[in-house]
Amino acid sequence: MNAKTMSDIMLAGKPDAHRISSGKAILYIVLCLLAIITLIPFAVMVLTSVKAPQELIDVLSIPSKLYWSNFRNGLSLISRGLVNSALITFPAVAISIIVGSFAAYPLSQFRFKGDFLVYMLLLSGLFIPYQIVLIPMFQFLRTISLYDTIPGLWLVHIAYGIPMCTFFLRNFFAIIPISLMEASLIDGCSIAGYYRRVLMPIAKPGLAALFILQFQSIWNDLLFGLAFSHGETVRPITVNLASFVGATDVQYGPLMASTIVAILPMILVFLLFQREFIVGMLGGSVKG
Amino acid sequence: MRIATERRITYLCFLFIPVTLFSLFYIYPIFKTFMISLNNWDGISPTMSFVGLGNYIELFGDARFQVSFTNNIKWLLFYMLIPSAVGLGLALLLNQRIHGKSIFRTVFFLPYTIMPVAVASVWRWLYEPGNGLFNRVLTGVGLGKYTQVWLGDPHIATYSIMLAALWWSAGFAFVLYFSGLQNVPAELVEAAHIDGASYWQTFRAVVFPMLLPSTIVVLALNGISAMRIFDIIYSLTRGGPAYSTDVLATQMYDLSFCRLQMGLGSALAIILLLLSAIIVLPYIYYTSRRLEGIHQ
Repeated sequence: MNAKTMSDIMLAGKPDAHRISSGKAILYIVLCLLAIITLIPFAVMVLTSVKAPQELIDVLSIPSKLYWSNFRNGLSLISRGLVNSALITFPAVAISIIVGSFAAYPLSQFRFKGDFLVYMLLLSGLFIPYQIVLIPMFQFLRTISLYDTIPGLWLVHIAYGIPMCTFFLRNFFAIIPISLMEASLIDGCSIAGYYRRVLMPIAKPGLAALFILQFQSIWNDLLFGLAFSHGETVRPITVNLASFVGATDVQYGPLMASTIVAILPMILVFLLFQREFIVGMLGGSVKG
Repeated sequence: MRIATERRITYLCFLFIPVTLFSLFYIYPIFKTFMISLNNWDGISPTMSFVGLGNYIELFGDARFQVSFTNNIKWLLFYMLIPSAVGLGLALLLNQRIHGKSIFRTVFFLPYTIMPVAVASVWRWLYEPGNGLFNRVLTGVGLGKYTQVWLGDPHIATYSIMLAALWWSAGFAFVLYFSGLQNVPAELVEAAHIDGASYWQTFRAVVFPMLLPSTIVVLALNGISAMRIFDIIYSLTRGGPAYSTDVLATQMYDLSFCRLQMGLGSALAIILLLLSAIIVLPYIYYTSRRLEGIHQ
């Protein structure tokens, strides 16, 4: 009602615009309600993380004073996992992008016999349920003494990042005009030199978007962490958090505090690099 | 000719590392998993005992497997319909001339950026039977008789997890549809309005057909997410209570890595792979047709 009166004042004398505009008011109300519903779990997470245990009875109440011990307690359980996750994620993301670019370069720039077959084969890896590889990879990592090591998880994430990185970069490289390569080759650049000195520098925006995409997928991974590590000095934060969540008797204050710590890097990356994030996600899915 | 040969060698050098890793980490394990699925094996002893298709026969007769299988089908239907539809709805709502578009877009997409384990963490607290948000709010508005043991009641636990998954994953379809809508020419929609078409008619006859590529991608990727679903169920219930929320992926993990029944686990993985292939092959076929079109 209120909103309608407001649009009445604003659009006096424009009957047609007025009808559209009261529709707009409803649209805004609906959108705001949906946004609030979406944000409630985040609000509960933040409120709970700074509440004393005796105040948890009222889930939506504002804490009477900030209770930081939750973060201290939560961090003591997951801080090692946080470090491990960082040690696993950054090198794995960087190397997976390089390996993916090795495949994407020939597949995007040259036509050769079987190129399409190689591409479709790599692409099909995107859709495999990872359960199919768990047992042999568990055996394999133990054979090469990389089970329960951070380099072992690098190797796994690099290998299982190949389809996405290849797919993404192939599409990105394909829009760079072929005449650029021809010109560079005439100027005496070698095939490898073109990749290193021209193609990769031009592809920086694509590489940034892919970095975020891969960061999300490796940082958020649970399955490989569970299956291929068991020591405290290797297990990523997702595994710590999953065993915290699955415990029979949970202290919700510390649990919410450690959840915030676990998701904060991703949320920050998203808020700071929103454009790249969304470009990455679209590039990783829409474009054939 | 010499230059061409030299170039060819260079491409092959580039392809060598990724293709080797792919063979070692995809092709070999699929083959190996199939071999293990024909045996009984505890994962430790040096020898396996061959049982042929025994593991597959055992699985199909197993009540737990039947529940997991049915749950995966439920997840498939759920994922293909509900987060996709909600995402489309949000995208259509936001695809208007309004202020604060980018803020709404950020908010609607935000849940999808966080890890599924964290989703499980928050929703375990929201679903807590005593002080959790759901039961508190229901009691608060006088609907106390509808309070539930959301994750502890085998009849509703899977649906409770689906609601958490909806909150998490609707943003994915939303972003895909939202960008798809940017490709629908505004003149086309206006022309339909001028011709007297209602909003719904315009949507059905003009907008939705132009969203077909987005729809195919959303359905295929949500379909495959449903077959792969693991993290959120494992974190929230470990497949319980009484295996009622188990899916093929969680049962496979439990059989192989907790019970060390590697043969059964492998057979389950093969079944999961075949089911996923049925869902995704039409999509790969569609994509490859489109790509070949671009190539020519």
